[in-house]
Amino acid sequence: MLDSVARLDVDGVVDMVEPSSASFPLTGHHRVLRLDEHPDGRRAWFAGLWAHREVLDVLARKDFQTRYKRATFGLAWAVAVPTLQAAVMAVVFSRVIALGTDRHFAVYVMSGVVAYSYFSVVTLSTTTAIVDGAGLTDKVWFPRVLLIIVPCLSNLVGFAVTLVVLVAVMPFFGLGLGLHVLFILPATALLVAFCLGLGMVLGALDVYFRDVKFLVQAALLVCIYLTPILYPQHVVGPIGPWLDLNPLTGIVVLFHMATIGSGGPWVRPVTVSVLITAALLVVGAEVQRRHDRLFVDQL
Amino acid sequence: MTAAIELHAVSKRYWQLHEQAMLLKSLIPFARPTKTELWALREMTTSIASGETVGILGRNGAGKTTLLRLLAGVTRPTDGHLVVRGRIAPLISVGVGFHQEMSGRENIYVSGMLLGLSRQQVRERIDEIVTFAELVDFVDTPVKFYSTGMFMRLGFAVAAHVDPDVMLVDEVLAVGDIAFQLKCIERLHELQQRGTTIVLVSHSVHAIRLLCPRALLVRAGRLEFDGDTDLAISRHLELLSVDAAPSPDADASTDERHVGAVSIVKRELLGPNGPTRHPRQDDDVIYRITLRFERAVESPHLSFSILTEEGISAYGMATRIGRDWQTFHAGDVVVADIAFRIRLSGGTYRLAVVVMDRDGRELLCADHDGPLMYIDRRPGSSGIAELEASIVIGDHRLTEQAGRMMVAPQGRLTAEEGPPE
Repeated sequence: MLDSVARLDVDGVVDMVEPSSASFPLTGHHRVLRLDEHPDGRRAWFAGLWAHREVLDVLARKDFQTRYKRATFGLAWAVAVPTLQAAVMAVVFSRVIALGTDRHFAVYVMSGVVAYSYFSVVTLSTTTAIVDGAGLTDKVWFPRVLLIIVPCLSNLVGFAVTLVVLVAVMPFFGLGLGLHVLFILPATALLVAFCLGLGMVLGALDVYFRDVKFLVQAALLVCIYLTPILYPQHVVGPIGPWLDLNPLTGIVVLFHMATIGSGGPWVRPVTVSVLITAALLVVGAEVQRRHDRLFVDQL
Repeated sequence: MTAAIELHAVSKRYWQLHEQAMLLKSLIPFARPTKTELWALREMTTSIASGETVGILGRNGAGKTTLLRLLAGVTRPTDGHLVVRGRIAPLISVGVGFHQEMSGRENIYVSGMLLGLSRQQVRERIDEIVTFAELVDFVDTPVKFYSTGMFMRLGFAVAAHVDPDVMLVDEVLAVGDIAFQLKCIERLHELQQRGTTIVLVSHSVHAIRLLCPRALLVRAGRLEFDGDTDLAISRHLELLSVDAAPSPDADASTDERHVGAVSIVKRELLGPNGPTRHPRQDDDVIYRITLRFERAVESPHLSFSILTEEGISAYGMATRIGRDWQTFHAGDVVVADIAFRIRLSGGTYRLAVVVMDRDGRELLCADHDGPLMYIDRRPGSSGIAELEASIVIGDHRLTEQAGRMMVAPQGRLTAEEGPPE
């Protein structure tokens, strides 16, 4: 053990060659933890993330299970709430207010609302995830960013089932099921990546500033109207193109492409969305890495 | 032997904010909250060999928790660096990651994996854990239906089966009943035998003496003493007396307690040289309490006890019940002096006082968390009473004489006038 320690004594957590650990036959790998005033190096931080993949899995399962354990219908509840919300919004905005003209408008509204409700639920959770996880994290170390990834994953199950329901009802609105439905995959990937990037930034801010969660709550209420979800983008006239600057627009446009298959300009909003998501992921990961072992000091 | 733990001039600074930081407000220049710096640890250098068991002593706020957090890798130093080799597991708070809605089995998986086991390892050990926790019949019941004892047993069982290379133990010996504590100590002994490095933080001088041959004494973030446990404990107790005199510990002696008809407004333990927490053997001490009567009370009855850490009464004394001696009126303040001579074996003791009405029927005041008192152990002795026993075999006197005996660093027994500085 002595030799391997000396050899691998570098920054961060490093997996060591399995020593002949007669005393701990069940112990997996041994590690060297070396801490100084600097944050973990990028490689070490990502290695730490990878080493904790099982912990992520168990935390996500726990989050999913406990969220619906109280509810009578379990997972059905996770699907019913956004479906109902989407259905109500679809009826209100396509029949009562009648912003859209064609009969596909109900599906247009529903697909946007389903995506937005995932975004909204996940963002509320990720914002407070690190603060809420304080009890878990002031004794044992694991990369704090796991707490941000957990809601992104655990809400994905309900989201996926809701999408299946959405696709299943499409024929009733006169929409054919073609290969365009596969746009759901890149759309979902972009949505999850965006939520993760934003969550990493907001979750970190929330540790240092206690008003962040209220600002997020307020922003989520407003944001749905700044995204072409409840109305077609062209009805807002000259403001329409500006909506492309909203990173959610690109995501929602992809979901529209997957469901109603409508054309319309998509290159610009999707490009904006991808670029902003990439930027958030880089900035978010960097913020999380630099502050990983400092969050606990604020909690 | 390589060091399992190395600290090189480790310092840790916290910022204390004077108000909650707000994002919107912080964007306005000059409106940022003021903050003061707090050094929890200052240039601490030490190393702990693999397989060693080391205790950490110090008052509340001395930096013990920060030190453990650094070793657990939860936070990083502001300056200096530290190295911990091997798998680290905390036995800090029992039940890490437990969720009320989930069953015992599910919680074992979450907690075990958070503490560093793989899913496979949890699967291999789960039967052992459940048996150890004595919860075989309840493992699939949600833990919200568990009693406190069951909950703690399960939490401890998981932590005790992680088999780390470095185990960080914080105050676990302060919770649970005696059977639980014994199980805990037994398990720690077992881990010691297997070569686990253990760092133990405890207010219980007794637990540290029992488990650790070496102790670190932390005072105001600095390493005050590092070495033989008995010397460290003496120094610790000495400092407690010195530091406690003007501004007392968390177990304050001046805070008011309104328990009922009678309040204790001041508590002081006076040794031969003034206020103390660390009386010597044979010292005559006075526990002076100031009582205030919230309503009229006729000839109250007072009882006093000295409790061990386990809550067992080491000694008690009470005034006679049913005797008329004085009537007090609402607002009366009176000083009670309880004088006694220290004839106790080494350990930590708590002073408790109960005031009742004349006939001992109505409870007027119950003060069960009075000041703590620390007494040095005579080498070789154990138990509660100090009976000044000696063992002589043939011509050999094999025990030290009663009095102020100290253990020198090499374990050699020497007689000294007082604890060394």
